[in-house]
Amino acid sequence: MVFSTVMDLQSIDTNAFAPVLTVLGYAAIAAGFASFGVLPLIGRRQGSSVLLGLANSLAAGLMLGAAYALMVVDPDGLPPVSAIAAMLGIMYVLFTHWAIGTTELDLNRLDETDPTYGYKVLLINTLHGAAEGVAIGVAMIVSIPFGTFVVVAIAVHNIPEGTVLSAILASLGARIRDAAALAIAANIGQVLLAVATFAIVSAAPEVLPWAAGFAIGALIYLVMAELLPEGYREVGHTSVALVAIVAMGMVVVLTGLSL
Amino acid sequence: MALNPALLVFLYALATALATGLGAIPFIFVSRLSGAVVAYASAIASGLMLGASFGLVAEGTAYGGWQTIIGGGVGVGFILLTQQILQRYDVHFGVARGVGARKILLMLVVMTAHSFSEGVAVGVAFGGGMVLATAITVAIAVHNVPEGLAISAVLRSRGESVAVCAAWSVVSSLPQPVMAVPAFLFVDAFRVALPYGVGFAAGAMVFMVLVELLPEAFEEARRPIVALLVSATLVGMVLFQQSL
Repeated sequence: MVFSTVMDLQSIDTNAFAPVLTVLGYAAIAAGFASFGVLPLIGRRQGSSVLLGLANSLAAGLMLGAAYALMVVDPDGLPPVSAIAAMLGIMYVLFTHWAIGTTELDLNRLDETDPTYGYKVLLINTLHGAAEGVAIGVAMIVSIPFGTFVVVAIAVHNIPEGTVLSAILASLGARIRDAAALAIAANIGQVLLAVATFAIVSAAPEVLPWAAGFAIGALIYLVMAELLPEGYREVGHTSVALVAIVAMGMVVVLTGLSL
Repeated sequence: MALNPALLVFLYALATALATGLGAIPFIFVSRLSGAVVAYASAIASGLMLGASFGLVAEGTAYGGWQTIIGGGVGVGFILLTQQILQRYDVHFGVARGVGARKILLMLVVMTAHSFSEGVAVGVAFGGGMVLATAITVAIAVHNVPEGLAISAVLRSRGESVAVCAAWSVVSSLPQPVMAVPAFLFVDAFRVALPYGVGFAAGAMVFMVLVELLPEAFEEARRPIVALLVSATLVGMVLFQQSL
């Protein structure tokens, strides 16, 4: 059974550094993808909100698909503690929005020059990046191919985040190069949490249902509270739905292949 | 005299269809119908349908991954086509007209179409032998209640009575007994078709959520409440289905 390798956590050698370095490398690549967000800004002064909307829809489908995969990965079903942890994941994203004051804020404004807006976007991206890092770490525990796929999903999501952040910085007079560097730096928490989650769960497998549940809740809530509503605002309902569902279909195929 | 097994399958599946009507009961207590109530109802229906689809996809891919994907693609096409057809007519449904009536009709079409493949799943399950009949029946009946809840959420929030909600919930599940009997009698043939059907049902429901229910919910209510309702309902539904 394909799942036997998944749940056989004892087989992970906790003394080997190689897997941790793999996770570090992959998570760093995902963070690096944020720098591609500056590409639409080169040449034109402003990015395209239609592109942002499509990128958000793609990320929404991939992340919802990743949450699906994490929910069905264990043939015995989602343990009840994972449901509690999922609520914690939802609450984490909900609370960070509330604390920073971004609950109803459009996080995808490309023409906003207010520095306060920039700080809020930077802060919320950094804090949510941490939850996405947990998702990467958990997925890497499940299997390296599945983890790679979640890295791709998060990397895709990091690109439009990078675009918005660098658009704000560019409007404040920053050079594109510096904007790209800061877009990557905003995801350092993501890399750290990916590595920490992987290391902790490797050492203490009983934490896995908690970490997985947290990642599931945070991913779903991020999709519902940020990616989809912003996608609907930027492009038509049908475009959002088509892009997202094709992305989910891809996840289902890749999950079948990678688990 | 023992009943014909095929008739027995029909009666069991009919009983599960009737259970769908129970989903209307919570809406006895919903009488205030503001835009926000429509949005919350859509959010809950979205969570239930996404959760149900996750379960269906997990089941379908166990029979065949590519078949499930192909079925899902057909499901998406089916919704797009139905949307096009509904847009050409000046539809009304009970007290609802225009956009609201279109949404209700689309919801009923989606949920009824998805019941066909569920009926096949029921028949194939019974095909494994009648020993587990009662257990399967109870499990599917309980599983149908949230589907009635999703349908009633959309209908009730647009002013339909609880009785109408219950009646249409049951009607949407009637393909279950109809499809269960041939699937039971020709298990092997239908087992091949199952992943396509299950994929179709999941594709249609997820697309309905993404293209109709969620955009509407975000227009009418505050984002965190909608997102919280969808997320919590989705996780709850997955857990609920696994416990059956």
